[in-house]
Amino acid sequence: MTGIELTTGAAAAILFGGFFLLIVLRVPVAFALGLCCLPILVIEPRLSPMTLFNETFKAYNSFILLAVPFFLLTANLMNIGGIADRLVRLSRTMVGHFPGSLAQINVVLSVFFAGISGSSTADAASQGKLFIDAQVKEGYGLSFSIAITAVSAVLAVIIPPSILMVVWGGVISTSIGALYLAGIVPGLLIAGAQMATVHAYAKIYKYPVYPRSTLKEFLVAGAQSIPALLTPVIIVGGILLGWFTPTESAAVAVIYAAVLSIFVYQEMDGKKLLQALSETGKLSAIALFCVGTASVFGWLLAYYQMPRLLLENVTAWGMGPTEVGFFIAFCFLVVGCFLDAIPAIIILGTTLQPLAESVHMHPVQFAIVGIVSLAFGLVTPPYGLCLMISCAVAKVPMRFALKDTMIMLVPMLLVLAACILWPEIPLFLPRLIAPEYLK
Amino acid sequence: MKRLSAGIYRLLTWLMIATVAILVVPVTLQVLSRYTDLVPAYIWTEELARFMFIWMVMLGAMIGVREGTHFEVDVWPALGDRANAALRIVSQALVLVFALVFVWWGIEFTRFGWEQVSEIAELPMWTIFIAWPLAGVAWILFLGEHFIANVRTLQGSAA
Repeated sequence: MTGIELTTGAAAAILFGGFFLLIVLRVPVAFALGLCCLPILVIEPRLSPMTLFNETFKAYNSFILLAVPFFLLTANLMNIGGIADRLVRLSRTMVGHFPGSLAQINVVLSVFFAGISGSSTADAASQGKLFIDAQVKEGYGLSFSIAITAVSAVLAVIIPPSILMVVWGGVISTSIGALYLAGIVPGLLIAGAQMATVHAYAKIYKYPVYPRSTLKEFLVAGAQSIPALLTPVIIVGGILLGWFTPTESAAVAVIYAAVLSIFVYQEMDGKKLLQALSETGKLSAIALFCVGTASVFGWLLAYYQMPRLLLENVTAWGMGPTEVGFFIAFCFLVVGCFLDAIPAIIILGTTLQPLAESVHMHPVQFAIVGIVSLAFGLVTPPYGLCLMISCAVAKVPMRFALKDTMIMLVPMLLVLAACILWPEIPLFLPRLIAPEYLK
Repeated sequence: MKRLSAGIYRLLTWLMIATVAILVVPVTLQVLSRYTDLVPAYIWTEELARFMFIWMVMLGAMIGVREGTHFEVDVWPALGDRANAALRIVSQALVLVFALVFVWWGIEFTRFGWEQVSEIAELPMWTIFIAWPLAGVAWILFLGEHFIANVRTLQGSAA
């Protein structure tokens, strides 16, 4: 430990204390993460602010992260190119006759959307525009409508493809193909939990029901959606068969969505395309800039060997695999309240990995527990992006929809607990389809 | 100042749109060249994609400061216009510190890349590294614009 000026405790105080102080002063998270590293970089004789540049450069100079703008672009192309409209029609014929029709359609559309896009924020933005107004007009509560839009949007990062799984696989070297397969069952279970919640709400508040669609309507809508529904098959299948890397698969999805919009559904024009490109660039750059500063922060934590100290402390508690699973979920849920999911993976995922390893938790199960917990962080205040976006679409402050969001989270948390208690829930599908990925 | 800032903002936005659009090309070439004979298997596709990506992130980060879209955590109860403006001045002053660091050490960082070339395509590295100090400069400009607006708000409601 020679050449280190500050004690680990002092460094931790500067990093975490500084971060929270800056956050309270409403400094944007990305800048807060970078600023609180500065004093240490100046004080430590072996470090200099150049570390800031080297580490941010290294973070952005990554072929894996390229998948982020591609996934966002796919989502934006889907919305402007008429793909989303077809999927709405299909969802309508599937669940339109359930109590709380429109809200059920909202959840089912999120499942389809999740299978094509890997970005929850894109889902929240597009479905917020589609559903919130429409639901309120049909007599649903505004707070309920915002909440269900936000919580169903988190499915996008749990059901493959998923930005978070690509990042996780890149940062903690886990097979992304295995993660994709492992996310399917938990994702569908969470969707089921949400539909049950909508059902309960619809019964209590007497939300409207649509007449049942005919089989013919279902088949027609289904046929029109087939090209769109093939997207997840191409992406996941292509990765499993070794045709392309995860980043390439995201680029293929972009091309596929563009071809569908331009040639098959023919609903794309130049102006819409420019808008899609611009929105994609802005949103992904903001999210990714934060990844750079988070990497510096994480690098400093490792410099002071904080992950190792944490592991020593926690191992002393003598927890079994299940307790460790709950501990990991708890850590990700708490950090997810304050940080965006990608920086959280970079900082916390790498910190907790040795702990998961020490109790022989399967790396894929560890990843799914972490990603699902972080997905819930997308709707928890004070920093829940999906909830923020949904509320921004409805033009109300975030507090407004908080109660209903928390109620909806309860059944979802039960699914998370089930994934911890029964590792087979995430591991079952990859074991069935691609056992070689689990080694 | 407003005109200058708006002009630069438009320029940056167009450049960013271009990087997003171009980004898809090398990655697609990479896949195409593997499975078809339509294009030769260029080895610079991966590097070009990464460099475009870095520029996209930095350009987007510059734009984000003007639009005020960098995500922040809101722990305050609803504040009045003046309190809001005061808080903004404080938080943006801190962002300004970060911007100055980006300019000051960013120049050193760029100079450090002056002699280097990239591993594959042999592009001069300063064309990438210069994104950092430029981001700092753009932030300072946009922060200045916000600062004037915030001071106006403070004075406006005082009068």
